Amino acid sequence: MDIKEYIESGMLEAYALGALTEQERATVEADIAMYPELAAELAAIETTMHRLADEQAVPPPAFMQEQIWNALNSEAATQAPPPAPKAIPLPPADTKQRQPSWMRAAIWAAVVVSVLTNFMLLSQRNKSREEQAVLAAKVDSMSATQQELTAMVGAYKKEMDMLADPGMQTVVMRKEGDTKMAGMVYWSKDKGEAYLALHNLPMPPQGKQYQLWVIQDGKPVDMGVISNDMVTKDGMVQKIPMTVASGQAFAISIENEGGNPTPTQVYMVGATS
Amino acid sequence: MLLLRQQSRQGFDYLYRQYSGALYGIVCRVITDEETARDVLQEVFVKIWNNIDKFDAAKGKLYTWMLNLARNTAIDKLRSKGEKMQGKIQTGEDIVYKQEQELRTEQKTDTIGLKAIVAEMQPEYKTIVELAYFKGYTLDEISKALDIPLGTVKTRMRKAISLLRQHYNT
Repeated sequence: MDIKEYIESGMLEAYALGALTEQERATVEADIAMYPELAAELAAIETTMHRLADEQAVPPPAFMQEQIWNALNSEAATQAPPPAPKAIPLPPADTKQRQPSWMRAAIWAAVVVSVLTNFMLLSQRNKSREEQAVLAAKVDSMSATQQELTAMVGAYKKEMDMLADPGMQTVVMRKEGDTKMAGMVYWSKDKGEAYLALHNLPMPPQGKQYQLWVIQDGKPVDMGVISNDMVTKDGMVQKIPMTVASGQAFAISIENEGGNPTPTQVYMVGATS
Repeated sequence: MLLLRQQSRQGFDYLYRQYSGALYGIVCRVITDEETARDVLQEVFVKIWNNIDKFDAAKGKLYTWMLNLARNTAIDKLRSKGEKMQGKIQTGEDIVYKQEQELRTEQKTDTIGLKAIVAEMQPEYKTIVELAYFKGYTLDEISKALDIPLGTVKTRMRKAISLLRQHYNT
């Protein structure tokens, strides 16, 4: 349920102004019980009604205080509902008290049926709400999965496009004595563009990070540290932010977090062609 | 609250001092006849007195409960009297006509307080509060009487209350 929309609808004001039918009242009361935001909004509305009542107060005639107190006491003594003496002759009040028993029974039956119906409707509604929440959660997780898949397909597409580019050469960096791990550099010498993808590399030890280098004229040139995020996303192709105009080899080293100006522990190397 | 539950004179005096004005104010807005209004006020206090132990603090504030009791008792009385006098079912046109007359008399009999507060409120908002709160019309009845859509009735109610909220800074 959209709480903001509910509040904007004016339903709570209608409730506070007493403009709802019994059925509508019951529904609003159930909603208020379920959503604290609605209860808070209603409380503010009611405070407003209090102010209105305060400001519109009309002091009753002075004799009323004593008259009402006496009425309350005679009330307590007889335990019967006696309206004010002058109100007694009103026929509607009288007929109400002399309802035949079948009528009372009918009213009670109607009340019981109405209460039961309300209860059933309420529990049905609660149930469908729960079902709705479950469905919403499912849709959420599906759309998340879909986003992941779209990103993956996009990455593969990029890789394919690069491989299809005739000017693009693939440099495979290998760790000595290991055949499973590979660092792939897709390098277009003409454009100076390079892309990196990692396959099966373990996470670097705590406090360490991988760093990429290109060897130009026998000297390693820093190509930036490789985020651990990339290590996790195996096979993800990422553009290298620097221009690589020349190079005899690419290399990955293990460095302290944040990288080093010169490589200290070379991890894998791959020569260009 | 404890004094009220004990049903002592002290409790009654406190209750009366605190709330009789506000309750009578509402009753008088609904019922113009002073004698009937006094009877209704007495009836309201009897109801409060007898039901104070049934009052559920968790369900709302005591003040709200009492105001609603006063308003509902007054409207019940208005209806039983109105039905007796008119002796027929009101049609939509009757309601509009009656309401126009009521509004006219209200403009005359408006208390200074209400005028001050609601003066800045446009008539379309004021009318809706009047009809709902002081005449006991349901949303549907207001919609038919004023010939405006149900949704508009509700949004005007929201607008009317929000104007009051601004006014009182609540």
